[in-house]
Amino acid sequence: MATAIGRRRPSLAEALRSAREVAATGHGIWSWLATVDHKRIGILYGFSAFFFFILGGIEALLIRIQLITPESEFLNPDQYNRIFTMHGTTMVFLVVMPLSSAFFNLLVPLMIGARDVAFPRLNAFSYWTFLVGGIFLNASFFTGGNIFQGELGAPDAGWFGYSTLTSTKFSPGHGVDFWVFGLQILGVASLAGGFNFIVTILNMRAPGMSLFRMPLFVWMTLVTSFLIVFAMPVIAVALFELMFDRLFDANFFNPDAGGNPLLWQHMFWLFGHPEVYILILPAMGIVSEILPTFARKPLFGYPFVVFSGLAIGFMSWGVWVHHMYTTGLGTVANAAFGVSTIMIGVPTGVKIFNWMATLWGGSIRLSTALLFAVGFVGMFTIGGLSGITHSMVPSDYQQQDTYYVVAHFHYVLFGGAIFGLFGGAYYWFPKFTGRLMNEGLGQINFWTLLIGFNLTFFPMHMSGLLGMPRRIYTYSEGQGWDLWNMMATIGAFVIACSVSVFIVNLILSLTRGEKSGDDPWDARTLEWSLPSPVPHYNFKEIPQVHALDDFWHRKYTEDEAGRPIPVVAGGSGQDEEHEEHDGHDIHMPSPSYFPLIASLGFPFIATGLIYHTALVPVGAALLLVGLYGWAMEPATEESA
Amino acid sequence: MRIDRSTLSRAVPAAILLLLLAVLVTGCETDTPQNTFAADGEVARDQRDLFYLAMWPAIFIMLFVELGLVVILLRFRRRRADEVPAQIHGNTRLELAWTIAPALLLLVLAVPMMSLLFKLGDDPGEDAFVVNVTGIRFVWKFDYPDVKGPDGQPLSSAPGDPLVFPAARKIRFNVTSLDVIHSFWIPRLGGKLDAVPQRDNRFWLKADEPGTWSGQCAEFCGLDHANMKLVAEALSEEDFDAWVEEKLAGIKTSSDAAGAISAPAR
Repeated sequence: MATAIGRRRPSLAEALRSAREVAATGHGIWSWLATVDHKRIGILYGFSAFFFFILGGIEALLIRIQLITPESEFLNPDQYNRIFTMHGTTMVFLVVMPLSSAFFNLLVPLMIGARDVAFPRLNAFSYWTFLVGGIFLNASFFTGGNIFQGELGAPDAGWFGYSTLTSTKFSPGHGVDFWVFGLQILGVASLAGGFNFIVTILNMRAPGMSLFRMPLFVWMTLVTSFLIVFAMPVIAVALFELMFDRLFDANFFNPDAGGNPLLWQHMFWLFGHPEVYILILPAMGIVSEILPTFARKPLFGYPFVVFSGLAIGFMSWGVWVHHMYTTGLGTVANAAFGVSTIMIGVPTGVKIFNWMATLWGGSIRLSTALLFAVGFVGMFTIGGLSGITHSMVPSDYQQQDTYYVVAHFHYVLFGGAIFGLFGGAYYWFPKFTGRLMNEGLGQINFWTLLIGFNLTFFPMHMSGLLGMPRRIYTYSEGQGWDLWNMMATIGAFVIACSVSVFIVNLILSLTRGEKSGDDPWDARTLEWSLPSPVPHYNFKEIPQVHALDDFWHRKYTEDEAGRPIPVVAGGSGQDEEHEEHDGHDIHMPSPSYFPLIASLGFPFIATGLIYHTALVPVGAALLLVGLYGWAMEPATEESA
Repeated sequence: MRIDRSTLSRAVPAAILLLLLAVLVTGCETDTPQNTFAADGEVARDQRDLFYLAMWPAIFIMLFVELGLVVILLRFRRRRADEVPAQIHGNTRLELAWTIAPALLLLVLAVPMMSLLFKLGDDPGEDAFVVNVTGIRFVWKFDYPDVKGPDGQPLSSAPGDPLVFPAARKIRFNVTSLDVIHSFWIPRLGGKLDAVPQRDNRFWLKADEPGTWSGQCAEFCGLDHANMKLVAEALSEEDFDAWVEEKLAGIKTSSDAAGAISAPAR
């Protein structure tokens, strides 16, 4: 085929084919743009989300600098409102969700003994759509005038976008439009990922891997994916209605025309509370893998942990009104949702006790990954307990919309999710790079993050109980809030230092980290049976699974007293590993540019709807060309 | 960098003690104007007591978990590289116990929660003094339908004027908004209620004694949300009657009274 191109002008099909061949070499930028390999997509997800994490972190630092003293004039109120809106939106939609997606992508096929996800190109589409959505959302910063003179254009109505503040009357300008379309695009990405992982987990497990032999992380991915698939449409509808209100003068939320601003809150939180568990369940899954490995003990009460995860998933649909206690829905509604909120604490508590029991009696290696996982348990517990105080409805009337709530959810989402994700990074880094992350820097990273985190967020309990409302750009002296705010700002900078240590560690370890070998932690799940870094086809032969923690049982057998003893090398279960097999005859899905082309259509459509409708057909054309090419090209191609 | 046993066992309890101290210090700072612990009314007091009821078990469980984690990490540290512990997969009885016990504890907490919820939700009755509260970006406006002016219209005040009401009497607030959602909050008298356009939300508060408090909008409402504050003054029965007299006299003598009580242009 390559020779034919030299002689005459190639047809479109030939050009595409040769472009795919360039990508299939696995080298260079084209191979990344067209990749459908779940591991590469996971890495792309991870780095993009980490970039947004830095961005959201800088926004957090700006917020904290503004609040370090009363009456500060570092930011003006307009800038402050835009920055805290973008901080929240970024951290939820562009950091924690995609970081979790990164781990789903990297790990799920390896953990269930598959060579890729069910729909590799849909997976690529999910990533590119996330990326363009994130860039589109952040592009709004540039729409407010001269950004270098501090004229920001980002949305300014909060990440929760309460009506009627989001109406064109009270939020003129295009910030909220960018927010609406940005979230809508990100929703498409999440839905694509959600469906993909449900199908992958249900259909692509290796022979012998029944549902109750799946690693806990895979279970949590499954629950999270179902939550995504059911929750994202709810906010999609809400966003469409808001779009109609803003662009076409509809009145869904306009009280003066009979619309109902509380309708927005119901839909937002009916999405928003499952969303909280979308953010935390993957980290719970990560922790449930790390703790057993470093304690050299199976997860205590695996079925209890699985079922409590499922219970949390179901119950997350019945607690949304606890975000709305003070909106005047009435005593009976508040009572019902107060009790459901109380009860969701039960499965959460079960998990915490099971994790502690997993460590109890273990042989615990205090590695960085383990410390982050234990940090997760400790910090998440505090967030969970302050959550219990929120379920005391009348007392929550006092805490609603104060810094006490800010403290609560940062303990859950930072002390919880982010700690878990950091732990996961340290744990699985060697699997994908073949190198260990530096342990000394890791320890510094963990301890400074633990200190900085508590210094930042614990004082917010105090300022909240002392009556400091959220989302205020300034406050006066004499309220008793000064000390707590000072502490929080100092803590935020400690966190920034800690994250810098992580970045240094990442770069150093990538370039000259110690070689890890295939199974540096003496781990339990299938991915550690593979070489590090994992070859692009994952498994030479699809494994036969015999038990939960199958890989552990290949390494250890039990004596009569039930004590584990190492299997002698070359013993049973090891034979298949030694077969000569270079993996060249394994057909993997071909790379494809069409998912990228299709996802590029979205920002054009959105920009067109905001500024000039002429761009809408351009975007629609891109989307259609992408989908058409995607549908027509062969998924796997015989090599030429 | 090695973390040895003594650093850990000293640092962690010290940190936790420090945090508890912080809680106590906060509770004692009673002179701060928006301290929810420094309750000056029945509602705020009940809410604070309910908070304590949940807070103390929460602190106990927190200590149990945090100290438990430290103890476990120290006690079960890996001492030899080839050490492999017994593979315990679970214990159904134990797990049922720590599912049912927290559920019971939490249901017990639900009882006082519900009883206070319904108490605060009850209509305060005919004796209550009524105040209409309107949130307008970025000020509060208070009207007094129980006090009729000479023209038969309810007594009104200009946006931004203080809220004035009799002490030691239940006050029923009818809360609404003219534009976006606000939240009406006087922390030392009790928890808040949102002001939603086209909605008439109701709750009651009560001040034990005459006094002056500050409050502020608690729902993000736009550019100047941080400065949407209010002053609440509870007067003794006599002082309040005098204040009403004075107000009504002001309306009689003022020729442009209608202008003063109409909604602002903003």
